[in-house]
Amino acid sequence: MQTHPIPGAAADLDLASRPGVPMERAPQPLPGARVPIRHQRSDVRVFKHVGRASLPPVFGTAQPPHGLSGLLRKVAYAYPDHLARHWMGLLLADRVDVWEHRVRGVLPWALPAVGGLTLARWGWRRFATR
Amino acid sequence: MRALSYQGPFRVRVEDKPDPRLEHPQDVILKVTRAAICGSDLHLLHGLVPDTRVGHTFGHEFTGEVEELGAEVTQLRKGDRVVVPFNISCGSCFYCQRHLTALCENSNPESDIACGVYGYSHTTGGYDGAQAQYVRVPFADVGPMKIPEGMEDEEALFLGDILPTGYMGAEMGEIKGGETVVVFGAGPVGLFAMRSAWLMGAGRVVAVDCVQYRLDFAARYAKVETVNFREVEDIVLYLKELFDGRGPDVCIDAVGMEAEGSKTRRVLGLGLKLEAGAPTVLTWCIDVVRKGGNVSIVGVYGPPWNVLPIGTAMNKGLTLRMNQCNVRRYMPHLLEHIRDGRIDAKGIITHRFPLEQAPEAYHLFANKQDDCVKCVLTPH
Repeated sequence: MQTHPIPGAAADLDLASRPGVPMERAPQPLPGARVPIRHQRSDVRVFKHVGRASLPPVFGTAQPPHGLSGLLRKVAYAYPDHLARHWMGLLLADRVDVWEHRVRGVLPWALPAVGGLTLARWGWRRFATR
Repeated sequence: MRALSYQGPFRVRVEDKPDPRLEHPQDVILKVTRAAICGSDLHLLHGLVPDTRVGHTFGHEFTGEVEELGAEVTQLRKGDRVVVPFNISCGSCFYCQRHLTALCENSNPESDIACGVYGYSHTTGGYDGAQAQYVRVPFADVGPMKIPEGMEDEEALFLGDILPTGYMGAEMGEIKGGETVVVFGAGPVGLFAMRSAWLMGAGRVVAVDCVQYRLDFAARYAKVETVNFREVEDIVLYLKELFDGRGPDVCIDAVGMEAEGSKTRRVLGLGLKLEAGAPTVLTWCIDVVRKGGNVSIVGVYGPPWNVLPIGTAMNKGLTLRMNQCNVRRYMPHLLEHIRDGRIDAKGIITHRFPLEQAPEAYHLFANKQDDCVKCVLTPH
């Protein structure tokens, strides 16, 4: 047994010096807490899990749901989060989200390119083969 | 502003995003000065956390300067330097009042299993994180702690997550003096758990990992014995033998859901998603610890489930304790340990990158290259 492995070894031997002991403290609001908490207002779509009656007073609004992945997330959130289908649905939506973004990323040049190639092929058949 | 943006599994880039704005009167906006990459960010990067949306900014370990204040913020002023807990906690709900700020019920609409967390997907509330130039910080009078004058941001940075997490990992082992402790995982959280075990009076501390440079670092930084599990035939039998054939009193899992050690579990969990990741280390903890011993879990696991030897745990009479860290209650105490030299928090930083090189930083950290232990981004 090492008796002095690091400086300050056993400095927190006394359980009373440990911040997490006891695990639950006598309930009282933390310093800086304000009650009641005003409710955040947002026009962004936010999903809530089935067990909540309403949105919490504060929530994140990053990356609102959209497209097919948003629809899949809406379906997933219709299931409570103690069911695996809720989580597997969200994982599926994540993958669809990635593909939606990739397709959206190539559309600005892919659509005109496909259109141009289609037109060129039509033109070739119409005029060059006469 | 410039910010990290998730693009899909294994892909991040830095791009322009709108500046965050005040969305609640108790918010502040911080100019981010330091943002660390956490081991748990790799679970996001690898697409393992449900509801991780393209465009999401990661980052829940950070320091910053107050840039803008909401109307109800009274404890902070513009220009204050703060370190922020990774939990977003209201301070007044059932759980926060009991100092269980990781369980706050007023910051996460999307799930009941966790409170709001910065940059950790919509499963934890949908807040963009701090691997960016600016970040929105809700409940600013409750969570953030001012960094004392004369203290560098990097000295305080890890008070927001990994230092209290490692400390809580040791604390949940219920060390009373003289116990034998095995810490699985010689990453940053494991390193702090090892030092914390000594602070609590442990008698013997052993680190287990498969990355030799990290074990060498642990031996120097935390003065522990080390075992590379790739160099032994059966890690469970080996560790039991190391502790009189009985096993250690305490096992701490500082690895979580992407553990090495079993190809089968990685294929079933990480590949085929038949369970939520590979709980190989947690299984070892249950098997290795002595009967009547303590298993402390601070490695991150996710929904929906895992296959674990609960029968072994039950018959051995084990105590299993686990939680995301309730960071706020630990910050003042651990700040004193840093100031008095008992914990060299900044000493684990091995790499620093500007924000623009965040993708390279992730690559280096995820692949454990260049003897990387901890990576910190410097957005400003």
